[in-house]
Amino acid sequence: MKTKSIASFKSWKVRLALLLAVIGPGFITANVDNDAGGIFTYSQAGAQFGYTLLWTMIPITIALIVVQEMTARMGAVTGKGLSDLIREEFGFRLTFIVMITLIIANFGNIVTEFAGIASSLELFGWKKYFVVPLCAFIVWVMVVRGTYNSIEKIFLAASVFYVCYIVAGVLAHPDWRAAAFATVTRPEAAGIRNYSYLYMVIGLVGTTIAPWMQFYLQASIVEKGVTAKQYRASRWDVILGCIFTDVVAWFIIVACAATLYAYGRHNISDASDAAQALRPLAGEYAYLLFAAGLFNASLFAASILPISTAYAVCEGLGFESGLDKKFHEAPVFYWLYTVLIVLGALVVMIPRLPLVYVSVLSQVVNGIVLPFVLIFMLLLTNDRELMGEHINGRGFNIVAWTTVVVVISMALLMIVFH
Amino acid sequence: MSLVALSELLGATVRDVSGAVHGRVREVAVAPQEHPTRIAFLIVATSDGERVLPASSLKSCGASVRAADDARRWEKYAPSDGVLLLKRDLLDQQIIDVHGRKVVRVNDVELDSALVNSHVALSVIAVDVGARGAIRRLTQGLVPAFTMRALLEKIPPRVIPWQYVDLLETDPARRVKLKIVYEGLSKLHPADIADIIEELPAAEREAVFETIDEDVAAEALEELDPKVQVSLVESLDSERVADIVNEMDPDAAADLLEKLPEDRSGEILNEMEPEERIEVTQLLEFGKNTAAGRMTTEFVSVPDNGTVADAIDALKQFEGSREAVATVYLYSVAYKITGAVPLVKIAVSPSSTPLLHLREDAVTCVPDAPDDEVAGLFDKYNLVTLAVVDEHERLAGIITADDVITMLRHAS
Repeated sequence: MKTKSIASFKSWKVRLALLLAVIGPGFITANVDNDAGGIFTYSQAGAQFGYTLLWTMIPITIALIVVQEMTARMGAVTGKGLSDLIREEFGFRLTFIVMITLIIANFGNIVTEFAGIASSLELFGWKKYFVVPLCAFIVWVMVVRGTYNSIEKIFLAASVFYVCYIVAGVLAHPDWRAAAFATVTRPEAAGIRNYSYLYMVIGLVGTTIAPWMQFYLQASIVEKGVTAKQYRASRWDVILGCIFTDVVAWFIIVACAATLYAYGRHNISDASDAAQALRPLAGEYAYLLFAAGLFNASLFAASILPISTAYAVCEGLGFESGLDKKFHEAPVFYWLYTVLIVLGALVVMIPRLPLVYVSVLSQVVNGIVLPFVLIFMLLLTNDRELMGEHINGRGFNIVAWTTVVVVISMALLMIVFH
Repeated sequence: MSLVALSELLGATVRDVSGAVHGRVREVAVAPQEHPTRIAFLIVATSDGERVLPASSLKSCGASVRAADDARRWEKYAPSDGVLLLKRDLLDQQIIDVHGRKVVRVNDVELDSALVNSHVALSVIAVDVGARGAIRRLTQGLVPAFTMRALLEKIPPRVIPWQYVDLLETDPARRVKLKIVYEGLSKLHPADIADIIEELPAAEREAVFETIDEDVAAEALEELDPKVQVSLVESLDSERVADIVNEMDPDAAADLLEKLPEDRSGEILNEMEPEERIEVTQLLEFGKNTAAGRMTTEFVSVPDNGTVADAIDALKQFEGSREAVATVYLYSVAYKITGAVPLVKIAVSPSSTPLLHLREDAVTCVPDAPDDEVAGLFDKYNLVTLAVVDEHERLAGIITADDVITMLRHAS
């Protein structure tokens, strides 16, 4: 009896240790997912539509889990990145098209991260013309020098900021019944013909299930050396990360609905509007809290997006890549990385650029690109020669293909009703 | 003789002797067991399934392919593991560029077509890894062929000759059939092999390590990044690891086994040769960051009443690492260390010279001397090797300078 309880205690400890050991790729990706684009889009959704769009959260979470799980599984089973697999299975031309699309979508995200940096520091009264180039330079050096690896944990710890939205959401005394009902209700049919409604829903999908995440997560799984055997623990890391992302997203929408929407401020034009959602928690100091959180999230994502784009593109197209290489050994890699950062920062410095609008727009672009990346992922995860026994199950295929069809239809409808 | 790109050949229309179009080229196959570079046959996608067009009946080859025989004589294609399919196995895949010492992705394959006895003989001559192949594949069918050719002429080619290409294949049985033995890779410096291994996906790493000779694998394994080292060893079976570890320097072997889970290192030790096992087990008992943990037990020592000829005999019989022979150690009757002779002195002295005439004081340390003390001794006395002695002043092992450099680099 006693030995049995010790054994079960030990196996429990082993399991916990295993879980902690693999906490990483999935959870980090999930945290970076709540970047500037995420915060602005969720805030705008709550401010503009109140609780109305909360119904999207459950289907988006399910789709996110399925998509991220597919990615992580592919990484563990094949030991290769997503762009490597696309190249090997679909040839040069298709890879080239996917990579160009990825560069465009990710460039939008990079602009958004710098927009987040600019607008968070503007709350302190610092002009973007000064801080954006400075932060761009810091990011560039930090990543190239490898300092990023040692401060990743700091970024991650600072992500505790998201808890503020949960607290603020509670303190704002939202109509819990209405919010809960809106979460489980089915969408109203009128939305299908409403351009701004469709725009927002695609933005929500795009910011939560962003294409770059699939490339980044799979690369991280490979980098960590997770194999098919150890994959079970990684799966939990991925699933927990997805749930965490969407719980935070839900609370951001609720907090904004209970404050901004309730005050009648239906359009977020800059960060100071978005910061009002934290008022129930921090009162006069809401803007400080919001600025710090947004700055951390933006800088975190800005450190990841350009480099992960450069890796994905160079691996897919067969250019030398890697920070352990010298500049002349991997020129395309370093140039692409540098140009993405420099241009991203320059765009944000355009005078009177509507930063929040641009951020939400980039997430809509993510949403439109997503189904195409998903089609490739579905073809790959259903390839028995590649995946062996780890091929997609029927349920996964249904969810993923439904996501593809629904998002494409919404994008088409959005164009029709523009 | 002229060059044909694989990407031009794929999809080309195929006509038989009558001149009628019968299908398109779907694959180009090499049968390495018959000939390492020659194309054995084309697979043609016809309205009647996939057919095999033997290379011996090719009449012309280019934008369209012409056969010298009747399409009805082309047999049905039966998939076989023993043939290398250039599109599936090579195009867009990663290969090892043995000459450039890196892993690269194939953009296109260059074939040579020559007229032999009134039929066209095709053979693989190089893989294209540069912009030329990339742009050809990107623009194919979108830009008229002659414009494309003119454009491509201007791009400097970046090709790897076929003899420098090592293919990656994860299926062991297929590796044998395709005669993939990593001959070129094995000839590289172990540090370069390690760099290449680090760039490969896990399954491909295993494939290479299962194939190359144990002694090459052992040297390369020593040079690998510790993280990659452990994950690679964990994926190989214990018997193979034991074969490789047998060939490693005992100190490197001990370092490696220490990083593995206990049951796994036990398994590997059990599979090892008794002599190596004892040495490694002893080293494993010492603390990791001490002189004993860093030392190797393979060194050259001779009685101090011997001559240069005795020292040279001992060197000839020595099987340990090259770094360890830099110093020949001397001992007295009770195996007590009495001095050291640098290799240079032995090399330039007549063979009858008594070793005591060449003797210098040996710099020594105790087994539990910490890392910084070891490094300090190397620095102070400009050492190449340092003797580690036990409480009876007997030589237990030596530390070589290369281990100290590794130690310092990992410490900073």
